[in-house]
Amino acid sequence: MNEDSTPSNSLGRRRRRDWTPYLLILPTVLYLLLFFAWPMFRGLGLAIWNPEALLALRAEATQDSAIAGKLPQGAEVEILERQGNLIPPEEQEEAANLLTEIWFKIKSQDAEGREVIGWVPDRRIRVREKDEEERPLAGTVRPKLGAKADPLTSVYAEPNERSEVVGRLESRVRVDIVEQAVLEVWFLVRGQNKAGETVQGWAQSRYIQVFGDEESGRVDRGNAGQLTAEYIQKMTQDRFFKPALYATLILTLLIIPVQLVLAIVMALVVQARLKGNTIFLYIFAIPLAISDLAAGIIWYAIFTQHGFLNSILQGLGFIDAPITYLSVDTRYWIFIAIWLAEVWRATSLVMIIVVSGLQAISEEVLEAAEVFGASLWERVRYIILPLLRPSLQVALILRTIFALQLFAVVVALSGGDVVTTLANETFRQYSLLRNPHVAASYASFILLLSVGIAFLYLRTIRTQQELEQS
Amino acid sequence: MNANASHLEAPPEMSPEVRALHRRMLWRRRLSRGFTYFVGILLAVWILAPIYFIFSMAFTTPETVRSYPKGVLPFIPFSLETMRFFLSSYGIVPGIVNSVVVAVITLVLSTIISAPAGYAVSRYLFKGRNAFRLSILAVRAFPILILAIPLAVMFINLNIYDNVFSLALMHTALALPLTVLVMSSVFASVPYELEEAAMVFGCTRAQAFVRVVVPLVLPGVAAAAIFTFVMSWNEVFAATILTVRNRTLPAQVFFTLNSSSEPYQFAGAFAMVVPALIFIFLIRRYLFNMWGQVSK
Repeated sequence: MNEDSTPSNSLGRRRRRDWTPYLLILPTVLYLLLFFAWPMFRGLGLAIWNPEALLALRAEATQDSAIAGKLPQGAEVEILERQGNLIPPEEQEEAANLLTEIWFKIKSQDAEGREVIGWVPDRRIRVREKDEEERPLAGTVRPKLGAKADPLTSVYAEPNERSEVVGRLESRVRVDIVEQAVLEVWFLVRGQNKAGETVQGWAQSRYIQVFGDEESGRVDRGNAGQLTAEYIQKMTQDRFFKPALYATLILTLLIIPVQLVLAIVMALVVQARLKGNTIFLYIFAIPLAISDLAAGIIWYAIFTQHGFLNSILQGLGFIDAPITYLSVDTRYWIFIAIWLAEVWRATSLVMIIVVSGLQAISEEVLEAAEVFGASLWERVRYIILPLLRPSLQVALILRTIFALQLFAVVVALSGGDVVTTLANETFRQYSLLRNPHVAASYASFILLLSVGIAFLYLRTIRTQQELEQS
Repeated sequence: MNANASHLEAPPEMSPEVRALHRRMLWRRRLSRGFTYFVGILLAVWILAPIYFIFSMAFTTPETVRSYPKGVLPFIPFSLETMRFFLSSYGIVPGIVNSVVVAVITLVLSTIISAPAGYAVSRYLFKGRNAFRLSILAVRAFPILILAIPLAVMFINLNIYDNVFSLALMHTALALPLTVLVMSSVFASVPYELEEAAMVFGCTRAQAFVRVVVPLVLPGVAAAAIFTFVMSWNEVFAATILTVRNRTLPAQVFFTLNSSSEPYQFAGAFAMVVPALIFIFLIRRYLFNMWGQVSK
């Protein structure tokens, strides 16, 4: 916005730039960047980027060793070996689902009376004393069970089993616990990557889901991202995708033209300079304040089996028993109900836009047309509609984009299953199926559809204007 | 009507043919007037009848709600029982409280953020003013639905998910474009000359703003705030995505829709409609400022 920092006019007089307006719009710009542009960008990202697609395996069980190969998320692996490793302090907070081992640094005496200081896994020590903060202070060495087991417990120089053994303790010997360390288990795994090659290497337990036999598992999540069409495929292969897309498009096509016509009629009534036309205006504007959920329930009250429509029809003697409208077998009635509810609720927005467009058309033009004998239809067709085009264009774009987001009305009238829309599928994927990526795919699809349609409208209308000018 | 038609009244000395022509024109005018009234009343009934149906269902006994064929209010017993049943249902009163809290935070935030921007757009000519206005309009037209999912993921990571404040942050983003446009038209309706006059009489620009502009724009700002409140109160999609335990009223009604009885649903619809109706009545004079703006 401040691409020219030296504004000067042709006379060369320098004007001091006034930064006040930029300061005044800054909060709005920042807020919309943070809570509009960034989430929209993230939303598109969620649809095509899998942040956990690949798991890099290490040659050694340390973070800084070379990468031995990569396995895709979900790959089956054999677990060949396991060992504990210190967790870097910066990872301790974020790590989830990891298997840990705790090791104690102990001080004790072996059978010959020599002092032994070193590390032992916590499963070898029974803790006997703790301080106020539940930190272990002292304990005894657990006896090893089983006839073949080594009766002595090894003490290591470092908190892992590969380090040097500094001493061996008999069972039930008392030890002082000096320090403790939390280790994460690493697995040496072998599996096949996407190309079918066998890859072997070390990975942290947090990325591996271990099966019951402790010898096999799968890659639960990766530590490197990848572009993926997986979510979009999941969306298009979802059995609700096509019904949702068709229902959304059909409803949009049904709703918009009727709304435009009805809104123009309403606007003409309001502008007809009758007594009480402001009352008409307020009544027509009431649905502006009604949420789509409330509108859905209101029309449910009309269309449900024991609802008002059946009551009125039976009262007038047209039917003998209530008709079932909103059921799987009468899907078209659900469409009609949604259509009526949306036309009822959202026409007022178009009406307001059309009325303010009409107010801009000068009275004289219309009166002149009337004096020269133009009928109401001719006035609408040749004067009002052409002059209203910009307003109608805006109303058309806004309403189409809103119609593509039909949600609560549909759920209220169909239960969300029988007739479903793209917005309802977005909700279902996120809230019920816990799949934010596929939900983001649906939302991105709606966004692209909206942008495409808005672009199409602008183009067709502009081409018409250009044609008229040429 | 008589005043309008009086100039068409034929003078007595006119020839019979002219008088007949006049009478025909008068009739035509009356006819078209009558037709317009007819259409207007038809449309008004179309808007009002469903609202009346739901009102009459909310103010009767649950037994009457379940009965068939249904009548409407003057013919069925008036009772507060259905409303009482609804309000004592699980999660409704907290839902109403949450809805009000979210809506109030949203209106405060969006007013504070958008008022300066509206003032800048209406009072200053600056490079990028049109770009700013256009992008605000574009934001207004974008499908808001796509924001909810990434914001939910973001809020979960920041540990502020399922929280009325984070829902208010999202609602503010939804309301902001409209409030900026309304604010700019509200400020534009106060002539700059008034501010100048105040400055001539020795006010600083800030003083002129506080003493002259603020009192004049207050009703319009209040209308914009009320409209923001209604928008937040009515919002369903983001509320269902961003809240789990701290649900707003629409989210609570939405989630219990499939498992609740008809009296509950109808009373719920009524509860959602009433505040909106009151507020739209309060701000009726400003409707065009809000939506007419969009088309300009």
